[in-house]
Amino acid sequence: MNFTWGQLSIAFVILIIPALILWKFKTGLLTKMGIAVVRMTIQLLFVGYYLEYLFRYDNTWLNLGWILVMVIVADFATIDRSELKRNRYLIFSIFIATFLGVLVIDVFFLKFVIQLPNIMTAQYAIPITGMVLGNCLQSNVIGINTFYYSIDQHQERYRFFIANGSTQEEALFPFFRNALKKSANPTLASMATIGLVSLPGMMTGQILSGSSPFIAIKYQIMIMLAIFSGTVLSVYLGIVISSKFVFNERNNFDKTIVKKD
Amino acid sequence: MEITFSNVDFAYDKAAKPLLKKFSLKVKDGDLIGIKGPSGAGKTTLFRLLLGFEIPDSGTILFNDKPLEPFQLQLLRKETTWVPQDLDLGEGKLSEVFYFPFTFAANRSKSPDEMKVLSTFEALGLPKSVWQEEFTNLSTGQRQRVGLAIAYLMDKNIMLLDEPTSALDEASKEKIRNLLFDGKRIILSTSHDPWWLDRCSKIIELK
Repeated sequence: MNFTWGQLSIAFVILIIPALILWKFKTGLLTKMGIAVVRMTIQLLFVGYYLEYLFRYDNTWLNLGWILVMVIVADFATIDRSELKRNRYLIFSIFIATFLGVLVIDVFFLKFVIQLPNIMTAQYAIPITGMVLGNCLQSNVIGINTFYYSIDQHQERYRFFIANGSTQEEALFPFFRNALKKSANPTLASMATIGLVSLPGMMTGQILSGSSPFIAIKYQIMIMLAIFSGTVLSVYLGIVISSKFVFNERNNFDKTIVKKD
Repeated sequence: MEITFSNVDFAYDKAAKPLLKKFSLKVKDGDLIGIKGPSGAGKTTLFRLLLGFEIPDSGTILFNDKPLEPFQLQLLRKETTWVPQDLDLGEGKLSEVFYFPFTFAANRSKSPDEMKVLSTFEALGLPKSVWQEEFTNLSTGQRQRVGLAIAYLMDKNIMLLDEPTSALDEASKEKIRNLLFDGKRIILSTSHDPWWLDRCSKIIELK
């Protein structure tokens, strides 16, 4: 059931409750809350209008262009949130890792699972890419942050391995394993409890807009598989590609990648 | 095998006065070198330069008469074992982390069975119980002995030992020397210990 903008504006009234609570305890979060709510509203309005046009034209190149824009934004957000230095090598590495992660997943699920005649159909390609991308962003942040910060913290361990005849790949193996474990764990945990603890947002949205729950869970199962596979692939690629630049030809770690306060 | 330092200058802080100035040294098979000097004189830095973790500001380091360019450096690192004073093998039980260095292609053929590891521990005065302990819970001295055990079992041609006897009693020192010194390999060691320095074939003093 559709509802009007006027009705939506009533929804904002509920903010009085959290605002009062946050104010009473002098959390200093009121300004932050105001900014967050305004940003959320404007960004979603923008995306809504944009997608409306994207869906209306439904042009393969336009859709692909939008996906590229999303990947680029995710790329920069990943690097900033992982507290690593934003240099061009890292931007390049994470771009490739994110883009490939999304591409493999899109092609597999849209071409071979849903079997769309054109996988760049806006109605499918944009939301699925968005879901996978958002999760890639979170996992990549955990993955590369864990990887580079633990190497920085345990440089003598890495050097001990190098000084005892390891190749760079061999010496990085325990750091790589640790980063993969940490980044894959949250997705695995949410897969294991999904449906019991909370109803996933996408499924809820589909049901609210009139789909049968059976269709909704089919999509939800597909999207969970897509998210998990896409994130692991992209964390793997992000570390493999970026480490080619972060270590020099003497296998020494470029500490400047890690931002210290 | 031959290692040559020739007129090496090096400083961590390029604005300050250099830590090493015109340092030269030639080492060949069978040499047991003791490097002594106050802390901060650059003893450990010599190892770091040799292992390629730092690069000389001027001068050259040669391995088998070739400069330590990346390719030659990789060849050297396959021949070396380095025992730092504070060994870090990572998190986990000793029995889990001990074998990791033996999974490297360069060391795989030397991977020892548990019996051999434990008998080496015994020779170094490490109790059997450490095998099941968390590596990070071992004392610095115990961890260093684990490093010496790894060095012995890897049986490399070049050993770099950082204060190898600092955590040992005399009986263990004797055992270490007997285990490691075979008269063929190169051993470079930093040490404050007169007992150890007395047994080196050459002593270098850094100021």
